[in-house]
Amino acid sequence: MSPSTTKPAVSMTMPQPPSGSAMNRFLWNFRHHPKRELWFAWWVMVIFYSLYGVLFFLVSRVQPPPSPAWSTPMVVHWFDARHYGILAGFGVVFLISGMCAPMNALLAYSMRRMSVSRIFGYSYLIMYSLSAIPGMLVMAIAMTVGALRPDRDPEQIHWLYDFAFLSFSGTMGVFMIGSLVWLVAILIDKNGVFPKWFGYLSLCNALTEVVVAPAWIFQRGVLAWNGAIAWWINMVVFVTYTCAFIVLLRKMIEREDFVTGPLPDLPRKRVGERSDSVGAAS
Amino acid sequence: MTNLAGAGPVPRQLEERPRRFVPGQPDMWVFVLFETLLFTGYFSVYLVSRTQNRELYLQSQSHLDLRIGVFNTIALLLSSWAIARCVQAAREGAYRSALTNAFLTISFGIVFLTSKVLEWIKQIHLGNTFTSNDFFQHYFFMTSIHCIHVLIGFLVLGVLVYQLWSPARRSQQLVETCATYWHTVDFLWVLIFALLYVVR
Amino acid sequence: MSTTFNKRLLIVWLTLTAMTLAYVWIDHTADHNGTFTASTVVTVSAIVIALVKVRIIFREFMEVRHAPALLRRLTDAWVVLVGACLVGSYFIGSALAS
Repeated sequence: MSPSTTKPAVSMTMPQPPSGSAMNRFLWNFRHHPKRELWFAWWVMVIFYSLYGVLFFLVSRVQPPPSPAWSTPMVVHWFDARHYGILAGFGVVFLISGMCAPMNALLAYSMRRMSVSRIFGYSYLIMYSLSAIPGMLVMAIAMTVGALRPDRDPEQIHWLYDFAFLSFSGTMGVFMIGSLVWLVAILIDKNGVFPKWFGYLSLCNALTEVVVAPAWIFQRGVLAWNGAIAWWINMVVFVTYTCAFIVLLRKMIEREDFVTGPLPDLPRKRVGERSDSVGAAS
Repeated sequence: MTNLAGAGPVPRQLEERPRRFVPGQPDMWVFVLFETLLFTGYFSVYLVSRTQNRELYLQSQSHLDLRIGVFNTIALLLSSWAIARCVQAAREGAYRSALTNAFLTISFGIVFLTSKVLEWIKQIHLGNTFTSNDFFQHYFFMTSIHCIHVLIGFLVLGVLVYQLWSPARRSQQLVETCATYWHTVDFLWVLIFALLYVVR
Repeated sequence: MSTTFNKRLLIVWLTLTAMTLAYVWIDHTADHNGTFTASTVVTVSAIVIALVKVRIIFREFMEVRHAPALLRRLTDAWVVLVGACLVGSYFIGSALAS
């Protein structure tokens, strides 16, 4: 429903990159493209989530989570089996945790582009910045402390185990409120930055995070921190939601015209036309 | 939705010459289908865990009163009926009738919620809490997550009433979207009722 | 107000309510001496009746009757899918337990 499919603000100030090799074009775009910061943030997000998956699931193997019902010897054995994985994996997590910043900034930027008050973007930024602490870093710290000295008192290792997983799963509340902020912004937005179905999907995501709250109460069963409902089904929704917003943020950047007002739809591409995006698949 | 040329409000032709339309925003349908799958996940987990411990589940289930479940279901069916009438009234331009039906929907919703809370209190007095056993864990979990959807439903109904109130708004698509959400709350309860109260 | 619609909706509501009350009858006949016993027949019929009600809600209350073919087929597919998951879970669970 946008009146025009051209992007006057961009095309008037943006000279075309020189024709040449892919590397030449990339370097030119890196220095001159008006959307380079947005694309940088998007790629940081994609790389971060990929690394996160690899580090938590494959390197340290702390996910899928083990059971809260285990005895102390079993917990100590679990740490032993993952000694190097935990130390190496979380060592890298500490290094890359700063990548959350551009990622959260891109999301807050999407709210700036909407017709809604700036309060939404700022609230989201604050909430998600703080939520990385219990939601990721505390777990990383507790796990590395637990793995550092395998000959530590087993009861202390068990304590660290509980501390890590409860912090990781139990503090979903902040993420949930963040989802709600984004969801309300999307639903009342008049600029069409995101489709409404994504707003409703955010509601599904927020609700599955509510479902994790009972993890504080149960040591076994479907609502424990490793339960079928509190973890497995929750993960399916979360992964769907994350994939959706990664794709939608990409579309947003492609459509961005740096003015206020409704975000125009993408022009239909003719065959062979190069897409206007830095680092996008050629 | 365009009017059939020169034929007045659309619905009088609806039965004679049905024109296909998606009720409400298609986006809301994405939500409905996704949420249904999600709840089906929860139901499947419940059913599997039920079969692992039949005696416990049967014994606990006997503490529930089927009549309350039936009453709850009928209350929500009445609320769905009211909102369906509301949508049709709005489509025909009969906004006073639509508003009355919207308020009826809210009232039946409140009846449902009140009765649910009273039932929870009763179960707690009987000694059955969220942590008592597996059956009651599922019972409280499913009814609570459903009630959260009902509470959100009241917000949605608020949007509906807001739309119907002033002639400056009254977007039929938004009215239908709100109705679609509320019907989802109803049919999810239909499933929960069958699974918690009747299934053996 | 259009009376044909009102009548249709009333009939739909009455049907759904009657099906709900059918559960009371099932409940009555399912139990011997007030003790609850496991029963596949009761379980499957409870689920099937619920799914029929869901389909009626889709078609009549949610107006899928008047929707494009895609939505009609999707909602029908969903009813079947939910049914398959529920009945499937019950049977798989039963098989695992024995």
